[in-house]
Amino acid sequence: MPDGSTDTRSLAALVQPGRVHRRVYTDPEIFELEMARLFGRSWLYVGHASQVPSPGDFITTELGRQPVILIRHQDGTIRVLLNRCTHRGVKLLAERSGNRPRLVCLYHGWTYDTDGALARVPIDEGCAPGFRTCDFNLATAARTGTYRGFVFASLAPEGGGLPTFDEWIAPMRRNIDDIVDRAPAGEIALDVGVHRYRFRGNWKMQVENVIDSYHVPFSHASTVNRKGVQFSRREGDAEGAKVVDGQRTAASWKRRRGHDVGHGHGWTSNTELDEGSRSSPAWNEYRQALDAAVGRERAEQILTPRMHNSMLYPNASFMGLNMHIRVIRPLAVDLTEVNVYPIRLVGAPEAINVRNTRLLNVTHAAASFVQSDDIEAFARQQAGLASRQGDWVDISRGLDADEPGDEPGTRCAPSTGELLVRAQFRAWLDLMREA
Amino acid sequence: MDVPAATRGIGREACERFVIDEARLLDDRRLRDWLALFTDDGAYWVPAEPNQPTPHGRVSLFYDDRELMGNRIERLEHPLIHVQTPPSRTVHLVGSITLEPMRTEPWLPAADLLVQSSVMMAECRLDAQRLFAARQWHWLRVVDGRLRIVLKRVDLVDCDAAFEAIALPI
Repeated sequence: MPDGSTDTRSLAALVQPGRVHRRVYTDPEIFELEMARLFGRSWLYVGHASQVPSPGDFITTELGRQPVILIRHQDGTIRVLLNRCTHRGVKLLAERSGNRPRLVCLYHGWTYDTDGALARVPIDEGCAPGFRTCDFNLATAARTGTYRGFVFASLAPEGGGLPTFDEWIAPMRRNIDDIVDRAPAGEIALDVGVHRYRFRGNWKMQVENVIDSYHVPFSHASTVNRKGVQFSRREGDAEGAKVVDGQRTAASWKRRRGHDVGHGHGWTSNTELDEGSRSSPAWNEYRQALDAAVGRERAEQILTPRMHNSMLYPNASFMGLNMHIRVIRPLAVDLTEVNVYPIRLVGAPEAINVRNTRLLNVTHAAASFVQSDDIEAFARQQAGLASRQGDWVDISRGLDADEPGDEPGTRCAPSTGELLVRAQFRAWLDLMREA
Repeated sequence: MDVPAATRGIGREACERFVIDEARLLDDRRLRDWLALFTDDGAYWVPAEPNQPTPHGRVSLFYDDRELMGNRIERLEHPLIHVQTPPSRTVHLVGSITLEPMRTEPWLPAADLLVQSSVMMAECRLDAQRLFAARQWHWLRVVDGRLRIVLKRVDLVDCDAAFEAIALPI
């Protein structure tokens, strides 16, 4: 029986076919292990090149518990540095973003280049015999990888059965392409600001929620007006999507598929409900720009996207319907921050990007129509799991009913089931094992 | 400052009364009456960035035109609005009210008066209370002799913080 222990065998007992033990959401010791092992080993999303366009530009964030700096070095390359002075451990940068030609510690003035090399120590005649600056460079992430401007890092060196970056990102490349290819210039930018929200619940609740199509018609019922239509969503849409009423809608949610593609990654497919015909002066102008850039046939493919939402396990989601990148940041076992970056399609008419940004205010800001009910659901799930009434959380919908997916080795099932949640817990267990 | 003809007879006192009454409608949860204070081209804006120059192409906590305000109120009246089950109670405190020289923006419809004030809203839901503090600006137009809101802009001191769900306008 699962008790307080955290060795590999005890952890394995918490994840069973179709159910997980409540401790995975509520036990502070397990949370600490997640920070050390899961976030300490996995590939993690860090940021996007467009957030640091010029040399010296930086953003600060955390990889699990480790404060890091994503910075563009003077030579134009992007580095992931630990945000901690190698002298007395002071956090070097406090701002969330900015520009520095060099990184200077506020305490004793140790000065680093933008690649983390220690350049200067004030009053250097006082240094111990044999002191060499090259022994005190900033620590860097053990491994980094980039794909189409998105920067990922792992704090663990290669080996130990951990996937290489190519192995880890490969099954999700097409989902990233799905969004980035919509930009006539073939690149996106995350430069219109960030929505930050937090909730009193475990981080995995958000990770499960982004690929859960089952909750949508009920949790988000209040976003639908008396005619059964949701607020108008995107540039060129004649009216909003119907999310609740009507047989067509119910059938559409059933047709939506969830794809388990390995490493805990998962994505849900679009249906015709999300697409429909779009037309407006700005949309038509965008369409022409895309046609000119990639040809009519390819533009048609791009604008019939296959993806609704996707989860790059464990900390980033890429959403295609209302375009954004979402970063999940665990703060405590029962407290999570989420950062939502609306996507700007480079080369698209300004009106298209303005409209997407405005849509994200309504769907994913802390004061939005959609996200606010999810925040409430997460807090109530955490409150409910504090109860000892039952120890098990049911994730059995569609158990053993999945089928082979599009690509070899992948599985798929209706996304109103819980295949992708079970896949996340398989990856969880794999990353949580003892070294 | 030149006083436009339309605003003749409407002084600081009337503006002060207006912003106090506006806050009171929110505390009384008379949201449809609150909505009626806005002009047809009116908007409610809570930036998500300090000193944000425009709501267009930048993130905002709220940027609602009349239609979206109406959608939001309809949602607040919906029986399945989980984030307001049970509902919050709020109390506003509005002070330091001043009439300001008019500021125009290319995207902002014409207004007759600009009123600046400080506002605090305490919100209580279940056992938790939280506090919102902001400077706010009301761009007002005189319509048939009465004040109407062209833009209400609320600059929270912590506008770029990570918030738990915000269901009610501030």
